[in-house]
Amino acid sequence: MKRRVERRSEAFALRTVTRIWEEQASEENPYLADSCRCYGYDLLDLMEKRTLVEVLFLLLRGELPSAQEARLLESLMIALINPGPRHPATRAAMIAGVGKTDPAHILPISLGILGGSHLGADSIEGAIRFLRKHMKSDPGSVACQVMETNQRPKEGDWHPVPGFGSRFGSIDSYSREIADRLLSLVDSAKALSWGNAFADELRIYQLGWLPTGIAAAVFSDLGFHPRAGAGLFQLISAPGLLAHGLEQANKPLTSLPFPSDEEYILEK
Amino acid sequence: MKNKKETDVFQLWDEHRGKIRSRKGGWLIGKGVLCHGYDMMEDLVGKYSYFQVLILNATGRMVEKRVADWFEAIYICLSWPDPRIWCNRVGALGGTMRSSPVAATVAGILAGDSKAYGQKPLVEGLNFIQSALAEKKKGLSTRDIVAAECSRHGGKPQIMGYARPIAKGDERIVAMEKVAGDLGFPVGEHLELAYEIERVLAEEFDESMNINGYMSAFLSDQGFTPQEVYRICAILVASGVTACYIDAFERPPETFLPLRCEDMEYQGPPPREVPPREKS
Repeated sequence: MKRRVERRSEAFALRTVTRIWEEQASEENPYLADSCRCYGYDLLDLMEKRTLVEVLFLLLRGELPSAQEARLLESLMIALINPGPRHPATRAAMIAGVGKTDPAHILPISLGILGGSHLGADSIEGAIRFLRKHMKSDPGSVACQVMETNQRPKEGDWHPVPGFGSRFGSIDSYSREIADRLLSLVDSAKALSWGNAFADELRIYQLGWLPTGIAAAVFSDLGFHPRAGAGLFQLISAPGLLAHGLEQANKPLTSLPFPSDEEYILEK
Repeated sequence: MKNKKETDVFQLWDEHRGKIRSRKGGWLIGKGVLCHGYDMMEDLVGKYSYFQVLILNATGRMVEKRVADWFEAIYICLSWPDPRIWCNRVGALGGTMRSSPVAATVAGILAGDSKAYGQKPLVEGLNFIQSALAEKKKGLSTRDIVAAECSRHGGKPQIMGYARPIAKGDERIVAMEKVAGDLGFPVGEHLELAYEIERVLAEEFDESMNINGYMSAFLSDQGFTPQEVYRICAILVASGVTACYIDAFERPPETFLPLRCEDMEYQGPPPREVPPREKS
């Protein structure tokens, strides 16, 4: 077969379109902006009148949040601000820090690890979609269906659906406490409430909420698109990752454990 | 559920606590470096090619040199220094902003982890041709296979490994066919089917195979799984990204595709006053 290569007549856009941000060029220099608007609101006004969380919500949803929405998002951001020093993503940040990696790389490195599907950003979209699909159904029936159609792995944790499962073989009761606390802050949070009921149904199987499930439920209640979930989860976890990475940055390489040869076991 | 003693619940993690277990190899300080059973300095360095060791690390198997040479050739084919290509443009943007070459190259590689192009579609490409051959062996005709796949995409010829954005036809296949011929590889059953599919698509839709389709079929004939190929190809786009990074880096900052304010088209809400915050 003779192979010819020809350009397709695809119509690419001549300009990039955005609904988010409008920059007004200065009269002196068309590359410089002398005003910026976010969904129509002047950025300098937002600086004066709104909180960071409100503007974050605006950026991702297109409208300013209600007081309850802002409260729910801010509380979730505090709850998940730090995956904790034992979390593999945080440890990646610490290794970057102690290894004297360029500090600008601490976040990209650790957020890449946090992008995984196990307790990471990659599971958030699936968790939001699961909640959206099932939250009008009876949580008990959904739990039965989930248990019938999924098989517990021979070893390790089991997450039969994204956002719910076991942590180190047990129910993560701290996640449940966070979910309860978040629910107490708002009048209504349908996905979060349904998730609590679903977690109750999973209890007999030693399964429950995972932090990713809570994030997904709140994102769903706040109306974020499922595709936004991964990045939002990374964003709200980033402060803890950065803090732990920077904490190690001035310490010698010997500050973190380095397994001895006896602790390094070669398997066939 | 089976009742377990309390400590049994986290026994698995206790077994791994404070230890690293490896099935790949490691540095036995003062004794040597092991890599999948080979002594790295004695057995591998200078004796096997970099791509043989890359494939060894990605699959656990030491492949014959001509397979590694074929991979090296496809790495050349699949990364070229044109910053209009999406992953390369990321590299160029890194150059214009004075990112480090490592950060920009890694960012470009990450961009290639895409459903639309780059490394990830190889998984779908290998899955398709391997399942297509299984269907063919069950008695389906090539035309049936194409029809079934097209029907999943609203009748359009959107089969992974066929057609491509921007251009029709793929010059890389010609180059790789020559490489495969020079290395003495025969056309296997997956590649034979891939050509048959191409003939059907050419007749019905005037579309042809792309490099993903050729690569997926060839590597299926060599016994690779989709995940193995994805892993071997993790850094597939790196060299073109680095080239585009350097091109932009060697020019003044922000001169790579600079945008005036007017070059963005704003289609959001018109200017509005920030409303007073509602009482909570």
